[in-house]
Amino acid sequence: MNTSLNNGSTRLIISLGLHSAAVIAFQLALMQLISIVQWHHFAYMIISIAMLGFGASGTLLALAREKLLRISGWFVPLLMTISGVCMMVAFHITRLDIFQFDVYLLFVERSQFPVLAANYLIFFMPFFTGALAIGILFIKHARHIGTYYFSNLLGSGIGGLFVLFIFGNIFPQQVPPLVGLLSVSAGLLSMGKKYYKVHLAVGAISVLAAIYLIREPGDIPISQYKSLAQTMNLPEAEVIYSKPDIHGLIEVASSPALRFAPALSLSYSGAIPVKDNIYVNGDFYGVIPRYQRGQTSHIMDYTTRHLPWAIRHNDRVLMINAGEGAPLAHAFTQKPQHVDAVIANGGVVRMMQKVFAEESGHLFLHDNLEIHTVEARNYLASITGGGYDLIVLPQQDAFGGTAGINALQENYTMTLESFGLMWDNLGADGMISVSAWTDYPARTTLKLLATLAHTAHNKGIGTPEEHIAAVRSWGTITFVLKKTPLTDLETKKIRQYAQELFFDPLLLPDILPEERQRYNMVGDDDFFTYVDKIMSGDRKFLEGYGFMIHPATDDRPYFSQFLKLGNVRELSRIFGGDQVPFLELGYLIVVVTLVQSTILALLFIILPLFRLRKSHRRKGGTLLYFGALGVGYMFVEIILIQRFVLYFGHPVYALSAVISTMLIASGVGSLTSGKIPAVPRSPAVMGLIITFMLLFYTFFLTPVLQWSIASALPLKIIISLMLIGIPSFFKGFMFPLGIRYLASYDPGQTPWAWGINGSFSVISTSLAMLIAVEAGFMAVMSVAVVCYTIAFAVFVLHRWFFRQHTGEVAAGP
Amino acid sequence: MNRAIVFFLLALLFIPWLAFADEFERDRRNMVRSQIRARGIRDNATLEAMRNVPRHLYVPAVQRRYAYQDRPLPIGYGQTISQPYIVAYMTEIIRPDENSKVLEIGTGSGYQAAVLAEIVDQVYTIEIVRPLGEQARRKLKAQYGNVHVKIADGYHGWEKHAPFDAIVVTAAAEYIPPPLVEQLKDGGRMIIPVGSPFQMQLLMLVEKKGDGEITTRSLMPVRFVPFERGE
Repeated sequence: MNTSLNNGSTRLIISLGLHSAAVIAFQLALMQLISIVQWHHFAYMIISIAMLGFGASGTLLALAREKLLRISGWFVPLLMTISGVCMMVAFHITRLDIFQFDVYLLFVERSQFPVLAANYLIFFMPFFTGALAIGILFIKHARHIGTYYFSNLLGSGIGGLFVLFIFGNIFPQQVPPLVGLLSVSAGLLSMGKKYYKVHLAVGAISVLAAIYLIREPGDIPISQYKSLAQTMNLPEAEVIYSKPDIHGLIEVASSPALRFAPALSLSYSGAIPVKDNIYVNGDFYGVIPRYQRGQTSHIMDYTTRHLPWAIRHNDRVLMINAGEGAPLAHAFTQKPQHVDAVIANGGVVRMMQKVFAEESGHLFLHDNLEIHTVEARNYLASITGGGYDLIVLPQQDAFGGTAGINALQENYTMTLESFGLMWDNLGADGMISVSAWTDYPARTTLKLLATLAHTAHNKGIGTPEEHIAAVRSWGTITFVLKKTPLTDLETKKIRQYAQELFFDPLLLPDILPEERQRYNMVGDDDFFTYVDKIMSGDRKFLEGYGFMIHPATDDRPYFSQFLKLGNVRELSRIFGGDQVPFLELGYLIVVVTLVQSTILALLFIILPLFRLRKSHRRKGGTLLYFGALGVGYMFVEIILIQRFVLYFGHPVYALSAVISTMLIASGVGSLTSGKIPAVPRSPAVMGLIITFMLLFYTFFLTPVLQWSIASALPLKIIISLMLIGIPSFFKGFMFPLGIRYLASYDPGQTPWAWGINGSFSVISTSLAMLIAVEAGFMAVMSVAVVCYTIAFAVFVLHRWFFRQHTGEVAAGP
Repeated sequence: MNRAIVFFLLALLFIPWLAFADEFERDRRNMVRSQIRARGIRDNATLEAMRNVPRHLYVPAVQRRYAYQDRPLPIGYGQTISQPYIVAYMTEIIRPDENSKVLEIGTGSGYQAAVLAEIVDQVYTIEIVRPLGEQARRKLKAQYGNVHVKIADGYHGWEKHAPFDAIVVTAAAEYIPPPLVEQLKDGGRMIIPVGSPFQMQLLMLVEKKGDGEITTRSLMPVRFVPFERGE
């Protein structure tokens, strides 16, 4: 730490770290809470607007810089305290009836808009006041910005880790009061001894309020359209188990009206057994299977998902995302010798093994079962020559569709690369089986078939029609991709099975058109033409289809994303404008988020500052430099998270590893930046180093990660620290160097720089998502490279400009 | 004289109500003409029923002004009242007549049951969400003597009154309960909508043949012209 800082400064720096930890912890907690109430992308929509508080704080700072700096001694502590109190109560306020809104209703009820605006405002307050406190400290201590920025980043990194730790231990609605208390503590710590009576009063009230809110957290008011809410409408419905977990809130609900038999054959005349359902963050996850040792039949024998078992007996089986429960029980009734079950959600596994072991017939403790609590993709990469007879994937989409609510959920299990790995881990005669709900217009089923056909093609199969079979019921289609051609006996068995259950064969090596619609007629016969076109490898068809049905890849891992933005007008004509939002809510929400955050940032942050600071010189450079840093930093963060999700096989660990390492390494970089002069050459050189580093990453990051993915965990951690930490260390120089130079050159522009950086950071998250969907992660990385090139160029040009006009190199402070 | 004044004042109070009633009636006729007839619904009994049933009484008060618009509306508990055209389509497709006995699974707002009650002999309707069921029961009881509402799990159907000429499943589940198939007459029809809330994509018609064979047919509501793909 800089030796010129006195005790008061040290206290401020610690407060800043504590407060920064609270702000990021609150952001993550809020994300989790709104994801439970609504859905992930909607949570993001709310928070992105709230986070514009960072930009707005810059506007206020620019407008009243002198006054705010003058009163900062008591005002900064007050802001931290207010921010903390807002964190404590914000979510609880939005639980009041008048503030409750619903993403589904947003597109059908105008009255939802003012409610949404009120929610924005409520969540805006803690970020605005919190960011204003940070901004004032940065501006006031611009000469020591490296140290203050270090504290900010270090605190944020630790805050991120802290909240992830507590997610697994306390209920989500208990987190905001706890992190709010952190911010209040920061405020009290920074206040100084002079106000000790105020300290005691504020501290005592806050602690009491936090204790009350933690002890009486109340329920989370989830959307009436979420599956848990629908279940709770059923007679005698009750939540019989509830546990916070790092993967989300796990709940089990029970009702005598809950049954599981997806797209059951109409030939089935027995009873459908009642089962308890598992929910994660209010979304249906699976069921508690009622398995009995020695059981030889299962209700799923009467669904299309039985297809691979109807073809033949399978001894070595891999079940991917087997936490659904019922498919695992179904598999064991078929007496396989060994089942590997991949279930990323360790909380569900622990629950099944400890709490519901008896009820589920000790299924998750079966002697022939080995459970792997990692992401499927990571498991597939970690084994070689699995020799499986059968790999079973979970059912895709949901009955009646999901309105595209999960469109932008990255899914590395359903990419071409993943299917390639599955193929490699099949035995000589192995099969991959995957099912989907039928949809109209056909999207999921066609994309699934395209993925299987491409996989066969990539593995050198010239006649995929001899390797792919599919059976269709009234609601589902199950596909099987077999490594060797289907035999006559196998096709005979498939036909027999289909006929007995009133299903229709969709794909067989010798399929006849008339047998495709014997029991289940479709309204749009063209569906079969599309199926045949995909099987024949018609690439033009895939390109021209009205929805995105190209197979997903690791670069664009959005299996559930089908909407082509360019087709929205045409879709509106066909289906009606009111229906379009429900074709793919998830994607449209991100578009809306980007548009509204851009407009708000322009209206309330960037334009006012342009107008108000007419007297300042070369504002364009400030805008470009700090805007580029905001976008570049976030884009790199998003790419690293994506890549390390694959590497660690666990999104939550990847998120925490990337964010914390990035923030802490950047913090160290920021601290080190104080040792180099704030002359234009410094940020220019750093910008150049980062640009080259990111260029290197563009081409070599994925191969390095692939090469080391199966390594021992300690080695993987070392590799991760290096790959994430080194560029982040250099990136940590850029903001403080820019601020220091600006403070010496034109101090009035520093608040503006803070506001611009914050606004662009927020906008860039949804922008990155849109670019990733439309062009892939490589494109996102390319934009990040361009951003750091811009940052480099700004100072090169500035230096050149200075020389032209003064004949000297611009001097630093 | 005083009585005359009171009567006059009461009459004044009724004027807006009458005006609204008139407006709703006009909206309803427009709805039948532009949303239903124009899309190919030809069954006279269905058209008449759609003209007769005051849809605005079956939607929540806050939604009343949208009652005759061409879209589904929220009715609470994560449920919706279907778009008018879909109600008409589902009614027509089961071929109801004055002798029919129809089972409805998912009473919801009660609107579909009311439309059916205008045409058929008896309507048996089951709702699993108690508040919705009670609300619908009150409304239907006031207007129709041939509608029977039960608050229960629709899975079991209504065995006492089986078999049914037709079954309308307005709240589709991921499976078709075997008891419902059992309670459908040979040659009977069952109609099920498939779609997430506010989105009506497909309807599925289940037909029970005399020989025990059961077939399904996906129906594309006329509203959606065949989806064109550029190739």
